[in-house]
Amino acid sequence: MLKYLEGSHGVSQVVAMCRPHVISAYPITPQTHIVEDLARLVGEGKLDAEFINVESEFSAASVVLGASAAGARTYTTTTSQGLLLMNEVIYCIAGMRLPIVLTCANRAISAPLNIWNDQQDSMTVRDAGWIQLHAEDNQEAADLHVQAFKIAEQTFLPVMVCMDGFILTHAFEPVDIPEQKEVDAFLPPFKPQNIVDPRWPRGIGLYADPRFYMEVRYILHRALEKSESVIKQVSGEFAKTFGRQSGGLLKTYKIEDADLVIITMGSVAGTIKDLIDQLEAEGKKVGLLQICSYRPFPRKEVYRVLKDKMNLLVIEKSISLGRGGILGSDVRWSFPRTEKKDRKISCFVSGLGGRNISISDLRYAVERVEKEPVELEFLGLNPDLIAKGDL
Amino acid sequence: MNKLPLGLVVDLRTVVPYKTGSWRTMQPLNIMQTPPCSHSCPINNDIRGFLRILADRQDYDAAWHVLTRTNPLPATCGRVCPHPCEGGCNRRDFDYPLAINSAERAVGDYGLEKHLEHKKLIPKRKEKVAVVGSGPAGLSCAFHLAKRGFQVKIFEAQGEPGGMMRYGIPSYRLPKEVMNREIEAILRLGIDLECHAKVGVNIPMDQLTQFYDAVFMGPGAQLGLPIGVPGEEARGVYTGVDFLKMVNRGKTVDVGKDVVVVGGGNTAMDSARVAKRLGANVCVVYRRTRVEMPAITAEIDEAMEERIMFRYHTNPVKIIADEGRVVGLLCVQMELKEPDASGRARPVPIPGSEAVIPADTVIMATGQAVDYDGLEVQKIDNKWISTNALQMTSIDKVFAGGDAVLGLETVSAAIGQGLRAAEAIEDYVEGQVESRLSPPPVIYSKDLNTYYYLKAHRFQRDALPVHIRLKGFSEIYPAFERGEIAKEAERCFSCGLCFNCANCYMYCPDNAVKKAKSGTTYEFDLDFCKGCGLCAKECPCHYIQMTLEK
Amino acid sequence: MITPSSEDLYRVEKKDLFASGHRACGGCGQALAARLVADAAGENTIACVATGCLEIFSSPYPDPSWRIPFLHSLFENVSAVASGVEAAYKALKKGPVNIIAQGGDGGTADIGFQSISGMFERGHNVLYICYDNEAYMNTGVQRSSFTPLGAKTTTTPMGNTTRKKNLPLIAADHGIPYVATATVDDFRDLQRKVKTALLIKGPKYLHILAPCPLGWGHTGDLTVAICRLAKATGLFPVYEIINGKVSNVQKIQEKKPVEEYLKLQGRYKHLFKKGVPVKAVAEIQGIANQNIERFNL
Repeated sequence: MLKYLEGSHGVSQVVAMCRPHVISAYPITPQTHIVEDLARLVGEGKLDAEFINVESEFSAASVVLGASAAGARTYTTTTSQGLLLMNEVIYCIAGMRLPIVLTCANRAISAPLNIWNDQQDSMTVRDAGWIQLHAEDNQEAADLHVQAFKIAEQTFLPVMVCMDGFILTHAFEPVDIPEQKEVDAFLPPFKPQNIVDPRWPRGIGLYADPRFYMEVRYILHRALEKSESVIKQVSGEFAKTFGRQSGGLLKTYKIEDADLVIITMGSVAGTIKDLIDQLEAEGKKVGLLQICSYRPFPRKEVYRVLKDKMNLLVIEKSISLGRGGILGSDVRWSFPRTEKKDRKISCFVSGLGGRNISISDLRYAVERVEKEPVELEFLGLNPDLIAKGDL
Repeated sequence: MNKLPLGLVVDLRTVVPYKTGSWRTMQPLNIMQTPPCSHSCPINNDIRGFLRILADRQDYDAAWHVLTRTNPLPATCGRVCPHPCEGGCNRRDFDYPLAINSAERAVGDYGLEKHLEHKKLIPKRKEKVAVVGSGPAGLSCAFHLAKRGFQVKIFEAQGEPGGMMRYGIPSYRLPKEVMNREIEAILRLGIDLECHAKVGVNIPMDQLTQFYDAVFMGPGAQLGLPIGVPGEEARGVYTGVDFLKMVNRGKTVDVGKDVVVVGGGNTAMDSARVAKRLGANVCVVYRRTRVEMPAITAEIDEAMEERIMFRYHTNPVKIIADEGRVVGLLCVQMELKEPDASGRARPVPIPGSEAVIPADTVIMATGQAVDYDGLEVQKIDNKWISTNALQMTSIDKVFAGGDAVLGLETVSAAIGQGLRAAEAIEDYVEGQVESRLSPPPVIYSKDLNTYYYLKAHRFQRDALPVHIRLKGFSEIYPAFERGEIAKEAERCFSCGLCFNCANCYMYCPDNAVKKAKSGTTYEFDLDFCKGCGLCAKECPCHYIQMTLEK
Repeated sequence: MITPSSEDLYRVEKKDLFASGHRACGGCGQALAARLVADAAGENTIACVATGCLEIFSSPYPDPSWRIPFLHSLFENVSAVASGVEAAYKALKKGPVNIIAQGGDGGTADIGFQSISGMFERGHNVLYICYDNEAYMNTGVQRSSFTPLGAKTTTTPMGNTTRKKNLPLIAADHGIPYVATATVDDFRDLQRKVKTALLIKGPKYLHILAPCPLGWGHTGDLTVAICRLAKATGLFPVYEIINGKVSNVQKIQEKKPVEEYLKLQGRYKHLFKKGVPVKAVAEIQGIANQNIERFNL
């Protein structure tokens, strides 16, 4: 049923339909509306779950870790500093192969303190062993959660659904909220493999000495690589069940005969599509590649799509300080070294700390890379604010 | 190698434990040690063993069988033994020593009450042994030999068996009934007894050595020695041995109003207390002090309770008679000087301190000797039979024990000698030359971890009031409550032997102490024991000890 | 399930639910305590364990020592993990089950302090057991907030200058229904407290003094004897706090001067060297005296 609601509530309502047993979260802007709504649903008895108000994100992650190890379907959500505080648990959850679903309402990280959107926070845990799915809009954000539980429970990998803070979480849009029975049909009850239960005593969270550790990490890495097919398959099943395409590994827009392809993640895709339409009217052939599954990074799929594209422009909301664009690096790595083609890959870091990414900013970037490739540029930087010596 | 499971999760029911035993440099061992009670006991009775049985299950039957493994006269010893075991008891450093003597009597009495029978270890063997004398030494030797299947015959000079137990010990200390029944039980092992058979007089010694594979001599010290002062031939003057013999045979002895007993040993105490019961005022004359008196402490205490007067530092000089009958004893006061060879202070007369103690009867109980009439054996000091370490005399195949060897000793000491002589005879007959295993080391208080023991009062036996005691010869201590004795047994530290406290089992951080299949003791699982020594440290009774890993 | 008859509570339990094969040092107080706890709690128990000595020596792949369900994730979060397990059992409508969170002093009082406070305050039906060995032993004997005054650790080489954090009282001030202290020497008391705690709904805290031979500088055979001295000197009061009320204080039978306790341990050796002011030991005696007065030991 199509509902006009805030992105956060789209997520909270869909999460509730996934029937999680245990929800634990610590409030942090801009994630708060999600947890508030879930707390309300539990409080009003509309959701039969344990809602645990904890004293930190660290404990929130730990509570869901414990609950998941005890066989519960679990959910938590956070952002920014909260995710950074969770960091240790985040790694641990993946290593323990616990199918936890977490929403990251992407936000900048301190310092300076900033509550607005970028994607630096989820980037800090890209190597943790989680599946990371990025939503373009509120519909996709909601849909990805239904898929996330299914993917997690099939692969025994935790799934992080990233949605841009404020831009999506606090934006009102019409969202098609599925019926409970549709969700139930799509998402079977959680069948855990190993749980803490006195009837079948298991040791969970053992330590591994050098004889075993590397194999455990290798297996985890392979599991993430192999999860690509599950992500694709679940996205396909979702399309079949709910009649719309959501998620998957990546999405393209007007890419077939494009001379220039923009690559990005998250909500900025919408603005970029507008620009592409404008440029098309102006006779320019520009396409879009949206990465939905950032981890596992669908390298082969990216290569398949971009094999013949010689001019690529990466727009990303994060930065590896002292190194450069992060998504840009991933894209560059997607092409085999043996390929002798003269491919130009440019990278623009944009929108950090909630800086608006306007169509004109994007048009500037396109026009810039049409002339020559750009190794790295901060889009929309105001040089007036920067002392000469700092430039 | 097993494939790594998802998330490295392990089914805990299938774990093969990692063995940590190789970490060990020290190893715990269960080592049974000798408790000081057994060590102090002349018979080496398994005191810990029978007390444990009483404490754990109040099984008097089993306790009796444990006790009679070594001592065939528990009811007797439970009455007359000065219980050096209690002197050794480690509990004395904690609160009070265990009332072992009372427990022994209770067990012995139970055996009599239930007519328990001794069991033979070996049904029958062809070798024959002659035992001379049916005192505690002879009975003990005969008993242990008979249990081992020997054909034993006892030759007793007197009309009835028992030796000094019968003729020396008054019945208020040892009722004849008790002794008789214990002797009967011993004889029921198939021992022949011939009374009025005085070896060396009626039966030549050669005859015994000829017809028997071995001979045990336990003639005792039946001769009372005079003190060697003028006037000893007067009427009313007896040796202690003769006096007690007369009374114990049931002869009426008129002791008169005043009796003076000379001496400080057990015969002196018994004589004094018997004379008191015959209605006399009794005075014990002793040339040293109470501390030096060789008699059993309890006997001296009881004699004092019974209003017997003690004159210390007093030595007889002359017996004064009137018309051939004693009327008094002239004594001199003594003072103690530096110790003599025996370690006791040397008494020296004080000139001019002579005084007469009026006496209708004088009993001389200062010395006894072996009656060597017709016996030719090597002696020590021309007094006691000389034996080697295996209790063999100068004559081949003739062994000896008891007072005749030890000098004046206790019933238990005699029983102990009888036991060891029996072992020696068995070894001799079998041609066994290697000495028997010596017992393990003795446990002392410092070896124990007394934290785990609770302080508790000692069992107190109630004596009859003195005025009732003195009315006759009935036993001073009435029978004990068996439950109370079992409770007393619970106080036993069980020095040097596991008593199932489970400390090792509970404290081992590696669960390397397992219950033995018997369920009553514990074993070490050396696959896992790291040798930390916690079990040994917390073993209350020092049964567990750490040794170097082999 | 244990019924609250006193006979059950006082029965000593030995089931080896924490089994042989762990890698603790010989004479380890914590290994002993962990087994006593597991056996008292029984088969119907889930053990959540914080990173630390206990976890390291008891849970290596592929042969952990636990025979009851075991769950470990991190150092500072065991209270939250146990909260999650409890929440899951509630949500899944499973149970009843005993949930025990366990950690050393660091995982409990320092890095895990926030997490334990959260668990107490939220009222989870979890028994938290702190194995107090008075320093970070797993990492090589560094100071923790439980390190007592005067004790030498690798990060307090001149002896610790601060006093031990009193977590049992802090726990009690959360308003939780049951707090108790215990030592490994008195296994009957320790197991009774585990069983008592498990009969009570809500968060419970049991603080167990567990000597570390390596860190305290004593031979492994003294682990139990040292506990007894810790109590006899008044340095480690043993008591329960039931619904906020201090009760069942274990009286000292025979009071001992703190020297007797200190002198057995290498970590206090420097206090008895020539030239060290007597004041140092006197201060520790002062702490013991305060305990004796405060708890009427």
